This record gives sequence, structure tokens and C-alpha cells, in this order.
Amino acid sequence: MAKRPYIRSRWFEDIPVGEFHVFGSHTFSELEIIEFGKKYAPEIYHTDPVAALDTYYRGLIASGWHLTAVWMRMMVDYMEHFARGVQDGRRNGAGLGLQDLEWFQPVRPGHTLTYTYEIIEKSDKVVRDQWGIIKSRNEAFNQYNEPVMSFTIDILAERNPELLAS
Amino acid sequence: MAGLRDERATAIIPSSYCWDDPMTRYWQDLKVGDTFSTSDSLTLSREDILEFAAEFDPQPYHLDKDAAEASIFGGLCASGWQVSAMMMRLLTDTFHDQAIALLGVASVQQMRWKIPVFAGDSLRADITVIDSNETSGQAGIGTLDVEIQVSNQKEQAVIVLQNRLLIPHGELEVAHG
Repeated sequence: MAKRPYIRSRWFEDIPVGEFHVFGSHTFSELEIIEFGKKYAPEIYHTDPVAALDTYYRGLIASGWHLTAVWMRMMVDYMEHFARGVQDGRRNGAGLGLQDLEWFQPVRPGHTLTYTYEIIEKSDKVVRDQWGIIKSRNEAFNQYNEPVMSFTIDILAERNPELLAS
Repeated sequence: MAGLRDERATAIIPSSYCWDDPMTRYWQDLKVGDTFSTSDSLTLSREDILEFAAEFDPQPYHLDKDAAEASIFGGLCASGWQVSAMMMRLLTDTFHDQAIALLGVASVQQMRWKIPVFAGDSLRADITVIDSNETSGQAGIGTLDVEIQVSNQKEQAVIVLQNRLLIPHGELEVAHG
């Protein structure tokens, strides 16, 4: 397996509040909705396109946790692209937690979601002498530009060691 | 439903549930203070972690042992989003065992990833009803606010969240055409 680079190109201090990014788009196929559903959310409206017709959702829909998993993939790919050419590998840290995750619209096979990311807050707190906390607002829109999902999340970003030392 | 211990195998067994139980429980059958626990834990294998990471979270600490050991996590661990997905699986399995009709999760007020989940960890969930509302904005569906804690085999909380579940008042009529 090819090694993949760490994905932050900037220190915590260099990332401005208000910055806005469009991570990209993903079209959900029937197969991937079913595969995810059978493993992680095995209700028939996530696993069986025929039986799902007789449920409240009147057809197959993607699990909400499938939408968040794809958000992560969109972010990793986008940040790698953003960091291309950076050699010193400032590290991306763990996610700490999220707030106000909501799903507004079902996602059906063939639907395309576009994911956006906005930096809304930077905490002064230093975690384990190395990390800062970045809060972002994340949204996904479908092909009709209707909001489908939103949440805020706290993610660690490495602080500049020279600034921390001083 | 317990996962296999063999680390080479995928431990998450695909499934598909429908509400065929004549004793199905609906919104009015549940109340604040009710608690539910998973009857069997689910084990996450190395294969499960690598498979999820390759598709959804291809960062070094979820894909590569050496990079993982040098990272903040200290070892190859599952994506936080896989842990969240496992929470949904544990919730779905538990509600199926309890014959409770579940129309999904409307929202998550708050979720914290507390500690990493490593290959071979066995996860179980404790679910507590903290609020109940007859209406959800959708006809025939109420909400239950629940607190869920997923714990590993050492009884350490790995993820804690409060979320709002959609529970129908009874069998819903589905209009076709």
C-alpha cells in the first residue's frame, strides 16, 4: 500500500477563521448504500431496495453515518491536494467531538452530495503541549442544492513549535 | 452476533432487519429512564479497520502500523467515523433484539470520541432514554432523546453521544402511486 502524506500544510497559527473550502462531490450508488447499510445500519430501508418501498422512506436511502464517512474521505482527499508539495509534514490530529449533527433530507441512489467546510473558531487551549483545536461548520448539499446534513466538529491541528517555545 | 476473534477475518457480519415481530414496540411503549444494553459485544478486526480506512479515512494512522505508532493514537486504530458507525450497528442490533421500531436518527446533539479503538477491541453499547416527545414534525412519528455510551472490553467509554431517534407511533401506512 502506498504511503500517504500527512495532510496539514499549515500550522494551527496560520489557519484563519472564516476560511471556506468546498471539499468536493460524491455520487452515492445503490451498491455502496447497501454495503454500508448491511454492515453498520441494517434496517431494510438501508439494505433492501425492494422491501424499502414499503417503508416510511418509500425506497432505499443511505445511512446518515455513510454521509459522515464520505465527508471524511472528501476532507482527506481535499487536504492532501491542498498540501501537495509540502515536505515537512505538519500533522493533522484527531477529531475530539462534534455538535449539532442533523440530517435534513434522505439521500437515495444516484444522489450527489457536495461537501463544504468553514473554519469558525480557534481555541486558545493547547492540548498535550502540541495541538490546537479548530472548530469548523460542515454542510452537505444535494444535486438540487437542498441542505442534507450539517454539523460542527473540533479537530486538533499541530501548533508551530517555535511559537509555542517562545 | 459476536464478531470473530480471528484478526485476519472481517468481524462485522452483514445483516438486514425488518419489523416482522408481532410484539413490535412503538413510541408510546417507551419512557424516560428506560435503558437498553447490547446483548453481545461486537469485535472490530484489523481487517475491518483497514477496509473502512481505505474507503473512507485513508490517513496513515488508520492504514499503517509504523505511522500509527508514531501518531497521537499510539497504534493502528479505527477511524472515529467507523466507531460512530459501529455505534449505529450496536443501536440497530439492540433495538431489533428489543423489537423496537426505529426510523433512524434525526440529529446528534453532541458526540465525543474519548479514546481510540484498536484492532481486536470488543464494543458494546448502553442506551438510556433521557427525553421523549410525541411529535417530530412528521405525522405519526415521535422522538426519543437517548444517551449512548459505547464501551470496550476494559469497560472504558470509547464514544459518548446524545441523539434524537425517530420512533413511529404504530405501523405507518405507506401510500403508493
